[in-house]
Amino acid sequence: MFSRQFDLAVKLGVGALGLVVVVVFCVVYFSVRNSVADVGYRPTQPVPFSHKLHAGELHVSCQYCHAGVEESAHSPIPSSQTCMNCHLLVKNDSPKLAMVRESYDKGTPIEWVRIHKLPDYSHFNHSRHIRAQIDCKSCHGPIEEMGVVSQFSSLSMSWCLDCHRSPDKHIVGARPISGVFTGKLEKVSNLLDSTFLFKPIPAQVDYAGVTDIVVPSFGATESKLPAHKIDGIPHPKYAGYGPENCSTCHY
Amino acid sequence: MNIPRPPIWLLILVGAVAILAVLILSGRITWFSTDPPVEFVPNMDHQFKAIPQSGSSFFSNKSSLREPIPGTVARNVSVYPLAQGDVDLADSVNVDPNYEKSEFVIARGQNRFNVFCAPCHNYNAKSDSNPIVKRGLWPGIPDLTRPETAALTNGRIFHIISAGQNLMPSYADKVSPIDRWAIIYYLRTLQQAATAGE
Repeated sequence: MFSRQFDLAVKLGVGALGLVVVVVFCVVYFSVRNSVADVGYRPTQPVPFSHKLHAGELHVSCQYCHAGVEESAHSPIPSSQTCMNCHLLVKNDSPKLAMVRESYDKGTPIEWVRIHKLPDYSHFNHSRHIRAQIDCKSCHGPIEEMGVVSQFSSLSMSWCLDCHRSPDKHIVGARPISGVFTGKLEKVSNLLDSTFLFKPIPAQVDYAGVTDIVVPSFGATESKLPAHKIDGIPHPKYAGYGPENCSTCHY
Repeated sequence: MNIPRPPIWLLILVGAVAILAVLILSGRITWFSTDPPVEFVPNMDHQFKAIPQSGSSFFSNKSSLREPIPGTVARNVSVYPLAQGDVDLADSVNVDPNYEKSEFVIARGQNRFNVFCAPCHNYNAKSDSNPIVKRGLWPGIPDLTRPETAALTNGRIFHIISAGQNLMPSYADKVSPIDRWAIIYYLRTLQQAATAGE
């Protein structure tokens, strides 16, 4: 019916079109998904809480409300009790706080909208990173300047690995405002600045005499870290390079 | 073959779109959105399991876990036995374990003091120039370096931190007992510094 040349042209055309679609999809998927898709997510929260006011102006430490982040894999959203520690008295008739008062009286949680979300197959442990003396700002950005909190980092795998491989380029050292325990006395004159420069200590992992755990190990090694706790105080771990084996996050 | 030259505005348009696409794809341009991020391939992103502080579709009240039986105590958690009014029992119940006042313990006390006490009592414990006091948000925050407070026993201060006092709420749920002792040891150093400075 059709000439051979036309048939070939149609086949080539369809093939080329398919290739273009695949390439465009891959480029868009891997670029957008990994670097920008989640950044800037700024949902409307049920209570118009301002981190800019509480952390930035009133200098309430991050850990005052997100207490337990040193001990827990997730950073706890504060209970209504925590809000009412102050708001029992401060602005106790504000209509913006009606939902907090109702939650406090009835014992029903406020349904905050979750911003930072990892896929369910990857695990992040806050306590491990806080004890490595990594400031909240490293991942969450300048929260104390945000009236409404938005996602600052992409939380993509490449973003995680960038930091695990060269933490000195990405990590903000512990600031007094974040309440990260560094194990040494600090000046408290500059609340919002880092009091020390984050320097990874390469000697943290003694590669001599360390055998691979599994084969293939993807670099898995047994690191000689300080004890989990000393006398009941969450001990800060030395700032070191992050592990890169798969089972660190995917278990 | 004679290909017609495309008009200049088309070239500029295509170039602009290309530059914009590169900037957006490389993450140089971002924007705020109240819509949840788009998930192109949500393979196993959402598994049917209980995740801390996330709602669950399994139970009718959207809670992931059932309420524990009233009176349940979590493991490794000590419940402070005294009420705010039991001041007389404070010293007999809260026996100072006399931890070594090493630099590490004092540093821990400073860290916890700065987090939980400093918003009201200021970093020097004098409750003088911190924003909450300056704005007059909370009345009658006492200076912790005055002689009356310095004269309190460690067990009494432990009681104040654990059970609260007057308008100050209890911090037993936020500060572990050993951290409370560390805070007290650090407060003593602040009081000594204030006395020495006068």
